[in-house]
Amino acid sequence: MRLHSNPWLRTAYARLWVRAKSIYGEPLWVAVNVGFPFFTSFSFTMVYRAYGLGSYAGFAILGGVMISFWGNVLWSMASQFNWDKQVGLFEIYITSPAPITAILVGMSLGGILGTAPSAAMVAILGWIIFAPPIHPFWPAVVLVFSLTLASLYAMGMALSSLYLAYGREADSVNEALHEPVSLISGVYFPSVGQGISPFPFAVQAAASIIPLTIGMDALRQSLGFPIPIPFIPLYTEALILALMAVILLFSSSRALRFLENKGRRTGSIAVRQR
Amino acid sequence: MLDQRLNDAPKVREDQPGLRNVMNRIDTEITVQVDGLRREFDSKEGKVTALDGVNLQVRKGEIFGVLGPNGAGKTTMIRILSTLLLPTSGKAGVMGFDVEKEPEKIRAVINMASGAERAGYDFISARGNLWFFSQLYGIPSEEAHKRINELSDMLGLQSYLDRKFYALSTGYKQRVTLVRAFINDPKVVFLDEPTIGLDVMTALSIREYILKQAKEHGRTILIATHNMAEVDAICNRVAIIDKGKILACDTPAALKRSLGAPSLVLEVSPPPAPGSLEPLGKLDGVKGYTSSVDEERGLSRIQVVVDGDGAAQSVIDSVRKSGMTVVSNWRQQATLEEVFVALVGRGFREREHEAA
Repeated sequence: MRLHSNPWLRTAYARLWVRAKSIYGEPLWVAVNVGFPFFTSFSFTMVYRAYGLGSYAGFAILGGVMISFWGNVLWSMASQFNWDKQVGLFEIYITSPAPITAILVGMSLGGILGTAPSAAMVAILGWIIFAPPIHPFWPAVVLVFSLTLASLYAMGMALSSLYLAYGREADSVNEALHEPVSLISGVYFPSVGQGISPFPFAVQAAASIIPLTIGMDALRQSLGFPIPIPFIPLYTEALILALMAVILLFSSSRALRFLENKGRRTGSIAVRQR
Repeated sequence: MLDQRLNDAPKVREDQPGLRNVMNRIDTEITVQVDGLRREFDSKEGKVTALDGVNLQVRKGEIFGVLGPNGAGKTTMIRILSTLLLPTSGKAGVMGFDVEKEPEKIRAVINMASGAERAGYDFISARGNLWFFSQLYGIPSEEAHKRINELSDMLGLQSYLDRKFYALSTGYKQRVTLVRAFINDPKVVFLDEPTIGLDVMTALSIREYILKQAKEHGRTILIATHNMAEVDAICNRVAIIDKGKILACDTPAALKRSLGAPSLVLEVSPPPAPGSLEPLGKLDGVKGYTSSVDEERGLSRIQVVVDGDGAAQSVIDSVRKSGMTVVSNWRQQATLEEVFVALVGRGFREREHEAA
């Protein structure tokens, strides 16, 4: 069978295309996607400089890059099915023979493709303007960056089923999650690691169940940022990220199957369009 | 592929004795079959019965209407048949497949659309949206674009295909929905109020499109609607449903003929006070009545289903006795609403108010 005639691949590709096209379809969004993370990075870098910690500029720039993906996961992955349900798209998915996992994977890849240019722009601008000291080991950077995105988007898939079940207030839940998760997972400063994290060990341990926390720490290590004592060794973090991705992928697929069956029993798949 | 599936059907059915009685898969003419279908929902007030032992059969190539007031159970039936909802009890099958046990097989041969839906991605063109929906069925892109063009031509959508979805008017979004409903060359299509909220001309073009789809492609189309003109115009057969029960099922013409005498229409002023029409229901020869307000003319219209001239005169006398002036009255050929009135005693509007 030719790959392009495989229905799973067709569905995933089509969903990827819709997601990426939607992101680039509105020029204002592209500007906002680049602007907001960059200005926040800029502010944090200024604060680091004001306290004589200019070498920490890389933390803020990396934060600006990764916050773009985190925002995409939260606003465009986790709450997507709930939004789809409100406008009648989810019932179209369910009544079609399309595999729901293909839709999720397509949505994730489209989100990554759509967010990557803005994230790259933040990285390039930050590197040109602030020139943070880095000593990267590129194979490790590529590996942990890929694993971080995989586990982050797998978490988005798992959250999408939760939002579908309990997501009447999806926007409020997103608002409530966005800043606290950014804070404890250490987007703009290391939130884990002895001698550098402002949080007690218990908070660091709790924060580690969020893929973003471990991913950010692994990226800091692989980029050679100034970290006194690593929280967890780099390749152990890579392994944890890989495990998280697999577990979250598996659980999101199971959760969606469960919710579909429950929805058919209770009548909660579709919203009456009146 | 489907024929192969139908040929294989008896083997599949051996382990499903419950469905065997419901669906004769060897008789390929029957595409939708429902037997003793019941669906209850939990609510704060307790169990609500949306469908109460519904039986029906729809044949290949037939446009079958399910006509009833809002809340009668039409959408619930469509959702069960399109695999979005499970029955509480009873059986339902589409193209020989059981909705409960074989939803994946049904999904490959059906499509569904609601006239009220506006499902699409705003920043993608109508064409892009339709291509995306076609991919959910694994249709090769070239074939998908061919179908999009053909179906759009029939609905006058062609010159709007490259507009972004958000920029389309309600009518054109609805046309996109109807192109989507046929994009996968489905054997059976479920349409829920396909022309709701549309102007007369758009509704007419959509009805023509639906007729063509059934006649030229032999598709079975099941339409849930409360629009009697629509049922009259395009349905081969209609089931009248109220409170989850099918009250009658036949061709629109046969149902209207079954009333016998023409119905009586009165225009009265002032509007009837609440409860003032109730004595009509007790008159001999009166099968039911319904009333509406003609706001432009400031008159109320009362339609009464009577079994003859004697009953008609009694109705006029009774209305006059209750203090209303009969501005005009005439007899008219029965409509499907009057069939409903004769079966239930009240009209769609009264039923919807009762339900509310």
